[in-house]
Amino acid sequence: MSDNSGLRTPLSRVRFLGASRQGTGETRIVHITAVALVVLSAVFVVMMLDLLHMDYNGVRATLGQPIPAILLVAFIIAGVIHMQIGMRSIIIDYVKGRAREWALAANACFCALLAVACVYAALRLSFT
Amino acid sequence: MASTDAASAKRRPRPLSPHLLIYKFTITMVMSIVHRICGAGLYVGVLLLAWFLIAASTDAAAFATFSAFIQSIIGRLVLFLFTWALFNHLFGGIRHLIWDSGYGLDPPMRDYLAWATLICGFGLTLIVWAIGYAVR
Repeated sequence: MSDNSGLRTPLSRVRFLGASRQGTGETRIVHITAVALVVLSAVFVVMMLDLLHMDYNGVRATLGQPIPAILLVAFIIAGVIHMQIGMRSIIIDYVKGRAREWALAANACFCALLAVACVYAALRLSFT
Repeated sequence: MASTDAASAKRRPRPLSPHLLIYKFTITMVMSIVHRICGAGLYVGVLLLAWFLIAASTDAAAFATFSAFIQSIIGRLVLFLFTWALFNHLFGGIRHLIWDSGYGLDPPMRDYLAWATLICGFGLTLIVWAIGYAVR
């Protein structure tokens, strides 16, 4: 986003980027993941209703199928991106100063770890 | 920044905008904060999905521990709240997508949309739980 070449005027560097200096990129990602999650959440809920009365082997067999696994991983990835940005905006609204930096870092770490853990577990169900 | 803060502290306090509590409560206001609270709840609640997936991918004993928790009263309550938060946030999100495309911002419509979010969120939660208990 930022261009430090010196050929651009200071005004052109900040124009349209808003108070957060991030532009509308984050909002776009929230919108895109939101639309994806409308569909993927519906799929997720139906999938969970299907798994509800299954035993251990039934759950493993179902989640090991390609289509449920792919949809589950898609749900996790879209969800984690969406929740990372959502929590980021909550932190920016309510937390100030140095604590904000720590909170944002903790948010990024938590979301990244959660995504890795869920995707790892989902893939392990398919490949073991 | 530090010098600016010190200077402003010496001056008399700046006038504050009216506090949130003096406003009459409106449904859009309530659903706005509920949307955010549900989002934050889902942020924590996704740990339940992580636990489920990790347990299912580990072994039968780990899955049995998860199963026992989710079937307990507390587990069911947490799952019910998670379901409601998911649907409330889902419909709230659709409402925001409608607003962001420039529709439904006028006085009667924005209130209808806020009520619709609340009713659809509770409604779908109850329907899904009814299906969960009915289908075996």
